[in-house]
Order: sequence, then structure tokens, then C-alpha cells
Amino acid sequence: MAITRETFPLPDVSNPFLAPFFDGAAKGELLITRCRLCDVLVWYPEESCPTCSNDLEWVQVSGRATLFSWAVVRRPFLPAFEDMVPFVTALVALDEDPHVRLCSFIVDVDPEPLSIDSPVEVVFRPLQFATVPGQFVIVPMFKPAEM
Amino acid sequence: MTRSAWGHAVSLDDINGKVAIVGIGETEYTKVSGRSVTEIGAKAAERAIEDAGLQPTDIDGLAYSGAFPGFGVPEFHDHFGTSHDMWTTPWGGGMAWAGTVPYVAARAIANREASYILNVFGVAWASERAQMTGGPGEVHATQTAKQNLEVPFGWFPQPVYFATIMRRYMHEHSTSREEFGALAVTLREHANLTPGSVFHAKSLTMQQYLDAPMLADPLCLYDSCPISDGGGAFIVTSAERARDLKQAPVIVLGVGEGYSATGTNWSQQREFTKTPQIFSSPGAFAMAGLGPSDVDVLCCYDPFTVVSLMQIEDMRFCEPGEAGQLALQGHLRFDSGRLPYNTHGGLLSHAYVLGIAHCIELVKQLRGSASAQVEDCRVGVYGGYTGHMASTLVLGTDR
Ligand SMILES: [Zn+2]
Repeated sequence: MAITRETFPLPDVSNPFLAPFFDGAAKGELLITRCRLCDVLVWYPEESCPTCSNDLEWVQVSGRATLFSWAVVRRPFLPAFEDMVPFVTALVALDEDPHVRLCSFIVDVDPEPLSIDSPVEVVFRPLQFATVPGQFVIVPMFKPAEM
Repeated sequence: MTRSAWGHAVSLDDINGKVAIVGIGETEYTKVSGRSVTEIGAKAAERAIEDAGLQPTDIDGLAYSGAFPGFGVPEFHDHFGTSHDMWTTPWGGGMAWAGTVPYVAARAIANREASYILNVFGVAWASERAQMTGGPGEVHATQTAKQNLEVPFGWFPQPVYFATIMRRYMHEHSTSREEFGALAVTLREHANLTPGSVFHAKSLTMQQYLDAPMLADPLCLYDSCPISDGGGAFIVTSAERARDLKQAPVIVLGVGEGYSATGTNWSQQREFTKTPQIFSSPGAFAMAGLGPSDVDVLCCYDPFTVVSLMQIEDMRFCEPGEAGQLALQGHLRFDSGRLPYNTHGGLLSHAYVLGIAHCIELVKQLRGSASAQVEDCRVGVYGGYTGHMASTLVLGTDR
């Protein structure tokens, strides 16, 4: 049951199921899966649409979202987070469909002035951990939207 | 089956009055103990069989946790030196399944597959975590979506999920930290009254709660349950046979089972500050022919303070957002006469043995032998909740 992948907790960009998400991020695009038939976003990615069983496709979304909720993590629950605490990890609700919530870091801001449902926007940054030296993955993170 | 956007209830046959709990056994509840799950299960089984006044050879059914196995039929025979045929099911143990296993047992008993079914659950996460394996987080980190779309972003493990749920809950209901604190303090007081609880000798004040370090703001140390070692067991048989046994039978009046459509992907659960107890509890109360106002004692699976508040609301003991006020006004205390709640101290202050001790506490309350005994206690309810699944078990004295 233990995770033996050496790059953990970096995401596994070679996982074919999720690779388009990370390939998109590397190009500065936020990609989410959508049902070809229902035309609704489906998140997390699944083998097929949970409503109609048709294929899903990856589509680009705007990267605009609202801050659904967040936690300020103060205790490092994994060794990789030890030199990162405190950090803000959040769920952001996409403007295209607020039922889709992305998990990510909120960056470029102190936690104090954050407020629930406030607008945020995507930025693409390298994610790296001291426990996985020399490696990084470009991922979507979010910052308060400029008014 | 009723479906809604974010979850559903399972429709169950009426088993009201058909089976009873006739024996209970508990191990010592500790922090790191070096005990294995198998040793814990064996000790709990031994004590439950003794409590019921039965012999190991009377036990012809064994329910265990398929998710966290460790004490099954081979281990049973190994421990007791027996070799008889036993019916067995992995749909037992603790967590939400502690609430549904009496239903599974009732079906097996009705089908004459078994007569006396022992449900066993043990956990040794304190000892396993000291060796850097096991623990509640590891199970989640192995799931593809979580491992790649949540963990790398620091949204891991459970204290972080529930800190995020807690913040949204506080926003929706204007809940104060004191409301969560009142719940934590009440459960600690119950544990202080209950010998054998891990925190029996350790008091907790509101000031200590408010001053405690944050694990993941807004969730502090005392919002989160500790990891422990320990376990328990109970024996289910037909109500008729129960009446000939040593202990006053505790009758199973109702069982409910509900699921969240998004499973343990809390991040995507449409109703973020609710639990599938919404789907589970109505069926259990309907089967029992009772409602929340008939309940004398309630025990819910409470890994975090907010999980208690949400379940109390989802079971309709109060309106959404009002459970914190129940705690603050003292209505959850064992002697309140209102809604005595987790009278042994719960996962938060008794022991993190994943719900099995909650069910055992209810049996004690209904026998009149609990430490923090509720007066004239006739109906007790267990709310099980493991993220993807909730269960509701309504128990009563023999009328
Ligand atoms: Zn579809």
C-alpha cells in the first residue's frame, strides 16, 4: 500500500490519465475534462462520463475562479512540506462551473486578508520539494484576482 | 433507492426487533502499545464471548473489517483452539460498517447461516505509525486523483480536508471557535468520567482549546482526534435467543445506510458542509418507528469537531448550523436531559478506535452500566461516517 514512487509527492506526470493536465500547465493552459455529449465539466477525470458514459475530452478553461475555502497548514503532515509551512492550500471553484473545485496553493498573498468566495486567478508556477531534489513540475496555482 | 444530486440511501428490509446485541468486549485503549491488530481482535472477542456467557464454539459467525482486516476466522480458530464451521463477512468491523453489520447479521440469522455472530474490530495505528507505516492518510495517498491532484498541492491528509470544510462551515453558519471548543470540552469531560479512555486523567478547558496550536487553521489540536491502539467486539443473535442469555438484550430497532456520490473525494462533494448521514438516518428512524426527539443518547463517529456538528444536524436533531449552540449551551452533556452525545468521550477524547467503542458505549448506556450514565436511557443511536458512506443504527432496550 505504501507509495514507492521516488518523485512523490510531486505529481506523476507520466500517468496517462492525468498527463494532459500537467502538459497543459507547462504550456500555461488550464485544462479540465468535459463530456463530449453532455457538454459539462467532469472533475476529477474519469474513464467516461458518469452521467452518459460517453468519452471525456480535455478543454481549456479561463483560470478565473472563486476561493471556495482554504486551510493554513501549519503542521507539516509530510516530510516534503517541512520547509514550506505555513502555506495556504485551497479549493477554488471555477467560474465556468463552480461545482468543479481545483485544489491548489494560494500564492502572492498573506492568509489574513483572504475571504471566502473572493475572485482568484490562475498562475503557473514550478512545484518543487526539497525531498525530491533537482525536479519540478509546472502546476496551476492561484492568486487573488486583480480588480 | 432515492437519489439526489450528491448521494443516495440504500433501501433495506425491515429488521426492527429481529436481532439483539448480547455481548460486548473491549481491549485496553492506549497510545503506542506494540500490540498487533490480531492480538487486539482476539482480546476483544474473548471478552465479548465471556460477557455474553457463551463459549467460543457457540460463535458460528464472524464479521470483520474488509478494509482493515486482522482478525478473521483463521485467527479466531488459532486463538481459541477451535475448528468448527463459521459463516463470515468482511462487511463488519468499525467505522460506518459498525452501524450496518447488525443488518448483515440479521440477514444471515434469518437465512439460518449463523446463530451467534461476533463482530470484531481492532486498530493499531498508533503503533504502526511509530514505525512509519499505516495510518489514516496512507490509504488516501494511494488513490490516483488524490495522489496527483490533491497531495502535491498540500491538500492532505484528513486534518487539512476537515480544516477546509470547517472554514466553509464557519462562514455559512457564523460559527464561533467557542462552539467547536464547547464540543471538545464536553467530550473530554465525558472521557474524564470514563475509566479506560485514553484521556481519562487529562482535563481540557475552553481556554486550553482556544490557546491550542493550529494544525491547519482553523482546525486546532483539540479539533482533531489522536491516533490510538485498541478495539472492541459485539455479538449479535436473534431477539428470541437473546432473551435466554446472561445480559439484558439490546434490540436493533433500525438501520440506515447512505452514500456520497463523490466518495472520499471531499473536495468535489457538492454539499461540502454536509455528510451522507442526510441519506442514511431517515431510513433508520423510519424502520425504528421513532424520530430524533425519541433518542436518549447519540454517539457519532467524530474524528474532527466539525464532523460531530454536521452529523447532528444531518440527522435532524437540530437545524443546519445550530449544533454548535447545542454544545455551547451544555445540551450535549450526559446529564443534560437533552441530547447526551458521545458519553464515553468519542474519538476525540475516548480513543480513536473508529466507532466500535461508540457502539459498545450505546450498549452500556442501554444496559444502565455506562460510566457517564444517562438517566432512564431507552433509545440510543450510532451515526457512522467514513467519508463515502454513512450508517445509522437505532438501538433500544427490550420493551
Ligand atoms: Zn455525459
